[in-house]
Amino acid sequence: MGSGGRRRVGVGRWNGWVQVTPAIQVNGVTRRFAKPSGEVFTALSNVDVEIAAGSFVSIVGPSGCGKSTLLNLIAGLAPADSGSIRVYGEALAGLNRRAAYMFQQDALLPWKSVLENVALGLEFRGINRSARAATAADWIRRVGLEGFDSSYPHQLSGGMRKRAAMAQAFLVDPDILLMDEPFSALDVHTRLRMESELVSLWSGTGKTVVFVTHDLEEAIALSDEVIILSAGPASKVAGRFSVDLPRPRNLIDIKTEPRFQEVYRVIWKTLREEVLKTHV
Amino acid sequence: MTGKRSIRIWQAGVGVILAGSWQLAVSAGLLDKFFFSRPSDIAVRVWDQAVSGKVWPHLWTTSLEAMLSFLIGGALGVLSGFVLARRPFLSAVLDPYIRVANSLPRVVLAPIFLLWFGLGVWSKVALGVTVVFFIVFFNTYRGVREVDPAIVSNARMLGANERQLVRHVLIPSALSWIFSSLHVAIGFAIIAVVVGEYLGASMGIGYSIAQAEGVFDTTGVFAGMTVLAIFVLAVGALVQRLERRLLRWKPPQQGSADL
Repeated sequence: MGSGGRRRVGVGRWNGWVQVTPAIQVNGVTRRFAKPSGEVFTALSNVDVEIAAGSFVSIVGPSGCGKSTLLNLIAGLAPADSGSIRVYGEALAGLNRRAAYMFQQDALLPWKSVLENVALGLEFRGINRSARAATAADWIRRVGLEGFDSSYPHQLSGGMRKRAAMAQAFLVDPDILLMDEPFSALDVHTRLRMESELVSLWSGTGKTVVFVTHDLEEAIALSDEVIILSAGPASKVAGRFSVDLPRPRNLIDIKTEPRFQEVYRVIWKTLREEVLKTHV
Repeated sequence: MTGKRSIRIWQAGVGVILAGSWQLAVSAGLLDKFFFSRPSDIAVRVWDQAVSGKVWPHLWTTSLEAMLSFLIGGALGVLSGFVLARRPFLSAVLDPYIRVANSLPRVVLAPIFLLWFGLGVWSKVALGVTVVFFIVFFNTYRGVREVDPAIVSNARMLGANERQLVRHVLIPSALSWIFSSLHVAIGFAIIAVVVGEYLGASMGIGYSIAQAEGVFDTTGVFAGMTVLAIFVLAVGALVQRLERRLLRWKPPQQGSADL
């Protein structure tokens, strides 16, 4: 512990969850890549993160700080070179079966219709066609895509594709939702609406969300806790901040509230240093 | 002037101009009829052969050979493309052998295949397979390797096992590559079997061309070529229809003329 100046700034208070097994425990994780030139690039160095079950946590950092790498490690899509990851107390080996993943880029299967795409998780679990169609249709309605069941992804707008991807992820009823800048490709207004929909789909489900973004405003508006990663290479945790803005939050207007701005100023102080360290 | 209709009209126009100038050049004595024949003679010959039924057994043999080499070579190509794309070690080991095999000019194999498989259908099929296989193999290999990694990760996170990954992600993703190779493969399969027939056979369009050439019957040679061309176009149109059905999820490509 204690690496990378881990600290809790008193923006909010922690209560209750401390004794419960965290959803995700990342202990001393290091991840290196071999560059094409043969050099070794250390993306993450000795990272410790603990994410409480049921919380919405954002990971924020300057570009190239290994946010996505960390998320991929938690997903089990890539192995850590050292250190350990525990998911609800169990050591992670291979894919994280309790998590769904929403990707930054479009990851819907272009050759499947919206209905088939949304139902994909059930199809992989061997659920029969009519059962999965019923469940998928329900989720398609919940994300506001009624009438587009038989459309192919290329026929949808960017926002609609994200809705379908959200339904696809939620439908498998994961305990953990991993989101890698899912809305970064959208325009500001579409993005705001998608954030609201995400929070309303999530709230009350008890699911743990790990949300990677480079946008501190987005992170604060959505999250219970914001984790700042230091500038790469060899990123570590530069700070953890709890966000005690009351829920339900009105995401459309929250950024103008004084309390939001206060939180923002505190966290920005830490993030600012890291951003300025980054070579662009 | 870019509608489907006007494209068709212009296409026909180009054909009329080409055939017309050929016809005129022969009539005017610029081209020797003995060596160049005439479009009108060729058309009459094709028609006669079709009506008299002389061409059909040859066409049937050639198309049977082409189809067999297409099916066998295509199946082997898709299969090995998939296996090697999924097994990098195996593909690295076999790489030099595949290169050597692919760099062999196929014509030199024809006499060997004649010795091995005789004058009948199978020596031509063998020759066709060696051509089709590599085209389909390389495209399948590339198609599988170039699958969007985000889509693969997404399917895996949603719980796909290896078999489901192949069925729902890799095959559909490779399909557009495989299809573009099938267009080429069909043409090459026909060329290969015709070359095989030309070098030694008792049946087929290639054989009939060789026969016509043996008696300096230029019209017969061109008639054989015309029949082949019509056949290749018809088969190509069939593949395209199948492709359009199977790839209907694809966004329409810009500027793809309806060929």
